[in-house]
Amino acid sequence: MSSINLTLKIWRQQNSDALGRLETYTLDNVNTDMSFLEMLDVLNEKLTKESKDPVAFDHDCREGICGMCGAIVDGVAHGPEKEVTLCQLHMRHFKDGDSIVIEPFRSRAYPIKKDLLIDRSALDRIIQAGGYVSVNTGGTIDGNAIPISSQKAELAMDAAACIGCGACVASCPNGAAMLFTSAKISQLALLPQGQVERKQRALAMVEQMDKEGFGNCTNAKECEAVCPKGISIRNIARLNREYLLAALTEG
Amino acid sequence: MELNARVPAGPLEKKWDTHRFSNKLVNPANRRKYTAIVVGTGLAGGSAAATLAEQGYTVKAFCIQDSPRRAHSIAAQGGINAAKNYQNDGDSVFRLFYDTIKGGDFRAREANVYRLAQVSTEIIDQCVAQGVPFAREYGGTLANRSFGGAQVSRTFYARGQTGQQLLLGAYGALSRQIHAGRVKMFNRREMMDVVVADGRARGITVRNIITGEIESHEADVVILATGGYGNVYFLSTNAMASNVTAAWRAHKKGAGFANPSFVQIHPTCIPVHGDYQSKLTLMSESLRNDGRVWVPKKQGDTRLPADIPEEERDYYLENKYPSFGNLVPRDVASRNAKEQCDLGKGVGSTRLAVYLDFADAIKRDGEATIFKKYGNLFQMYQKITDSDPMKEPMMIYPAVHYTMGGLWVDYDLMTNIPGLFAIGECNFSDHGANRLGASALMQGLADGYFIIATSVAHYLGTNKLDNISVHDQAFIDSKRSVEDRIAKLLKNSSGGPAGKFTVDEIHKELGKLMWDNCGMARNKEDLEKALKELPAIKQKFWDYVYIPGDTKEINQSLERAGRVADFLEFAEIMIRDALTREESCGCHLREESQTEENEAKRDDKKYSHVSVWEYSGEDAEPKLHIEPLSFENVTPSQRSYK
Amino acid sequence: MWFVRLLSSSIGKKLIMAATGLLLVLFLITHAAGNATIFMSSDVFQSYADELHSHPLIVLVFSFSLLLIFLCHIVAGLYLFFENRKVSHSRYEVTTRVVKNSFASETMPYTGLIVLLFLFVHIFGFTFSPKDVQISVTVKELLGNFFYALFYIFAFVALTIHLSHGFWSMLQTFGINHPRYNTLISRLTLGIPLFFLLIFGGVALYFMTGLGAHY
Repeated sequence: MSSINLTLKIWRQQNSDALGRLETYTLDNVNTDMSFLEMLDVLNEKLTKESKDPVAFDHDCREGICGMCGAIVDGVAHGPEKEVTLCQLHMRHFKDGDSIVIEPFRSRAYPIKKDLLIDRSALDRIIQAGGYVSVNTGGTIDGNAIPISSQKAELAMDAAACIGCGACVASCPNGAAMLFTSAKISQLALLPQGQVERKQRALAMVEQMDKEGFGNCTNAKECEAVCPKGISIRNIARLNREYLLAALTEG
Repeated sequence: MELNARVPAGPLEKKWDTHRFSNKLVNPANRRKYTAIVVGTGLAGGSAAATLAEQGYTVKAFCIQDSPRRAHSIAAQGGINAAKNYQNDGDSVFRLFYDTIKGGDFRAREANVYRLAQVSTEIIDQCVAQGVPFAREYGGTLANRSFGGAQVSRTFYARGQTGQQLLLGAYGALSRQIHAGRVKMFNRREMMDVVVADGRARGITVRNIITGEIESHEADVVILATGGYGNVYFLSTNAMASNVTAAWRAHKKGAGFANPSFVQIHPTCIPVHGDYQSKLTLMSESLRNDGRVWVPKKQGDTRLPADIPEEERDYYLENKYPSFGNLVPRDVASRNAKEQCDLGKGVGSTRLAVYLDFADAIKRDGEATIFKKYGNLFQMYQKITDSDPMKEPMMIYPAVHYTMGGLWVDYDLMTNIPGLFAIGECNFSDHGANRLGASALMQGLADGYFIIATSVAHYLGTNKLDNISVHDQAFIDSKRSVEDRIAKLLKNSSGGPAGKFTVDEIHKELGKLMWDNCGMARNKEDLEKALKELPAIKQKFWDYVYIPGDTKEINQSLERAGRVADFLEFAEIMIRDALTREESCGCHLREESQTEENEAKRDDKKYSHVSVWEYSGEDAEPKLHIEPLSFENVTPSQRSYK
Repeated sequence: MWFVRLLSSSIGKKLIMAATGLLLVLFLITHAAGNATIFMSSDVFQSYADELHSHPLIVLVFSFSLLLIFLCHIVAGLYLFFENRKVSHSRYEVTTRVVKNSFASETMPYTGLIVLLFLFVHIFGFTFSPKDVQISVTVKELLGNFFYALFYIFAFVALTIHLSHGFWSMLQTFGINHPRYNTLISRLTLGIPLFFLLIFGGVALYFMTGLGAHY
C-alpha cells in the first residue's frame, strides 16, 4: 500500500442543456488500494468541504455486475485495466503525479444528465423491442424437458454475461450498439427457447437500434477490447447472420 | 395493531391449493381497470410487475437506478434452490421446507415456508422457458450443486452469475410488458412515502432523481419490493443505493416492522482496508470447501503468514468443530472470526481479518486443480487486494450481507395496511433468523411470479375501492410532508460547510455504532449503550449535516442524506429488537444466551415468535407486538455442528 | 419493402460493402491472374489481351457490372463515412484506441480513396489508351516511367492496407467468425492482400527497375 498524488481533469456539466468543460482538481495522498470510484468519493468529500458541487456519477453495486458505473478514463472506457468495470479499477494502476482525464460515456443516444451521469435508456428500448422469450408466467414445461448441450449453454452464457454498461457504444469510433444488441440476440438464438421468435427478434431489435441513433459498425473491434465482461465480437458476426437470414425470409 | 397472519386451515401440504381456490378472483376483462404500483425491479419486483401485467392489470413500476436491469438481485452469485430432486438424492418439497425452517432456526412461519418450497420447482421451469442459461450436464439436463445447510444437491446456477441471469429473465419479461404498453416504467425515481387514504394504501410519493420533482402516483394496490436494509451499517455487501427508506416510510404510516435485528453476516468477504472504503465484496462461500481458516496462536503476531510455523497456527474452526471444520454455517464461521480478532489474533494491517489458506489443498490436489476450481475467485481477489491466493493465504472477514427482517406480512404477503404488499427481501416472511444460501433468489421469484398475483386478485375481489386522484388531500399531504422533509435536510446548507459534517461522515458513525454494538454478537450492555448514543448522532445529523446543491436537480448528496436520515430512525428499532430478544437464534447471538460450548442457545418458551414493531411517533417509544409461531409439522431442535 | 428495409438498415449497408467488396476481390484475382502472364513474355500477355477483347459483349457486360459494383462500394462507403463522422467527430478530449494495429480500420475511407484515384489514372492510361498501340507495349511505356510506376506501387500498398482490414471485415459482416477458422481467416487476411501486392506491385517494379525492358 502506498499513496499517490493526482491531477484530475473531469468533465463538468450542470445539466443536459448546459455547456460542459473539463475542470482540473488536484487530489493528494490517494491510497493505491482504493477503487477508482472510492477515489471519486474522496474527491467529492473534499469538494463538499470546500463548498463546491461534488461530481455526479452513476454507480451502485461496486462489484462489477450492475453495469451502472462507467466513464472514459484517459480515452478508454472503464480505464486502462482489461475486463473490469470502473468500480473494479484500482488506483494502483496509476502512478504518482499522473494526470487523469475523466469524461462521460458519449454517444448520440446517450444524453448527458450531469457531469459523468448519462441516460442509457436507449439500451433498454432495444431490449424492449424483442430481447426476450415471450412466455407468460406459469404453464411452462418441466425445465429438463428442454435438453440443451452444455456447450450451447456455455456459449449462450458467454453472451448473456453482458451487464448493459454501454461501454461498447462509448468506445466505438462510430457509436454503434452492435455488441450490446448482438449479445442478447446471440443468447436467445443459441438456445432452443429462443427459436420461435428468432427472426422477428433480430429484425425488431436492429430496427430499434437504428432508430435510437446508434452508429454503424465498421468492425473496429474497440467494443470487444473494452467490454468488462469480455463479450466477443463473434456475437456481432452471429447477429449479422441472424439479421440477413431474417431479412431475406421474414416479414 | 392487529396481526392476523390469515394462514389457511387444513393440512400443511394442502394450504396453498385450498387458499388459491378459496381466494376471490378478478375477471380478466376487469383487470385493466385496476392499477398496481410496484416499487423496485429486482427479482421480486420485476417478476411481480411482469406477471401482473401479463394477467391484464395496469402496472406502474418504479426503480431507483437508470434501468430496471440493475437492481441488486443482480449481484447474487451462488444459485437458486428448488426441490426438483433431479439428482434423485432424496430431495422433496418437505425436505426443502424442513431445511429452510431449520436453517432459519425455527423463527419463520411454517405455512409460508412450505408454500415457498412448493412453488420452487415452478420457478426453475419458468426461468428455463425464458431462456436463462443455467449450467447443464453433458447430456443436456440441468446441473445442480450443493450448498451450505443442505445434504442434497438442489441448487441451480448459471456460472457465478445466477442472480444476474435470473434478474435478466425477469427484466426481459418486464421489458416485454413495457413494450406492450401494459407496464409504465418510471426509472430514476426514489420512493419517499406511501399514500394511505381511508386506511388503505392508494399510492406513493416519489422524487424524480433527475429533475428533483416530487411526483404523486395513485393506484389500487401498492407492492413494495425494495430490498433489505444492510446499509444501516454503512459497510455491507449491498449496493450503494440499497436503503430502508421505502419500508421505513411504510412503517411510519402504520405498517409493522418484523424482526429488524435479524441480519445475516457473511463469513467470507474481503476485509476492510481503509476509512475511504465504500463497500465490501463477497467471496463465494465455496472457498471454504478447500481453504483452511487460521490465525496465529500468538496475539499481535505481525510476521508474514509464510514465516509462521505450523505449530504456531491456530486452525480454530477445525479444532473447535471437528466434524464440520471449515464448513460450519455462515453465522458460526462469522462469529468465530470476530472472536479471534477480539482476542487480538487478527491479521492484516487493520488486524480485522483471518487467513483462508489454500496451501494444503494445493499440495494435495495440485495447483491446476485448485486453480480450475477457484481461479475466477482468486483473480477477483487479486484484482482488489493485489495479492495472489495461490502464493499466500487469502485474508477474509465477515460482512453484512442480507437482512431477514422486514415489513410484517400475512400469508398473502400483505402488510397490516390494507392494499400494501411487501415481497422479496423487503418482507420478513420466509427465512426466520437465518437464511440458507441460494434461498434469497428462490424467495424473491416465488413472491413475484407465483404468489403476489393471487393475493392482489383476492384483495381487489373482496374490497370495494373508491375512485381516487392525486389531487385528493391524502396525496397533497404526503407530497407536502416529503417536501418539508427535504427542506429540513437542506436547512443547514445555506451557511456553507464550515464546522459541519458530510452525509457520509455521519453515516459512517452510525455504521460503526451498529457494527460494534448490534453486529455479529450482541449483549445487553452494548445494546443499551448504543440506544443511548443513537439520539446524539441523530441530533448531530439534523443540526450539522451539510448538503451541497439544490433539490430541483440531480443531487446525489441529498439522495444519500434522505436515506441516512431514515437509517438513523430505523436503527432504533433494530437495537430495541435485539435488546428485547434475550435469546440467541440463527444470526442473532446474544452473548448472555449461549450453551456451555459457546453456541447459540434458543429460548423457545419465551421467544418462539415474530417481534413486530409499531411506530408511535417521532419521539415516542415504538411498541412491540408479537405474532406467536407454532410448529405443527416440525419439532424445533437445537442446532449443533460439533 | 423488405429489400429496401434490409439495405437501409445499419447492417444492410455493411452488407453492401461486404458483398461488393467480395466481388471486387474476385475481380482482382482474375485481373492478377491475367497480369501474371506479363512475367512469362510480352507475347503471352498480348495473346491473353487479344483473346479477352475478341469477346466484346462479355467485356462490355463485365465492365458495366464492375462499374456498378465499384459505385455501390464507393457510395455506400462514403455514406457510412459521413454518417459515422457525425457521431465520432470531436467526441472526447482524449481518445485512445485500445485495439492494436487499428491503422487499417481507421484509414479505410482514405485508403479507399487512394485506390479510387488510382483507378482513374489506370483506366485513363490503359482502357482508353490509343487503339493502335498494342497493350503489351503500352504497359512497358507507361510503367517504364519511374514516377508513374512509383504511384502504382503506392496505390497497391494502399490497397493492401485497405484489404488487410477489409477482407476480415467482409467475412465478419457475412457472419463468418468461428474460433476453429479464425486463424485461417487471419492468415488469409494477411496473405491475400500481400499476394495482390506481389503480383500488381511486382509488375510495376518489373518495368520500373528496367527488368522488363526486353520482356
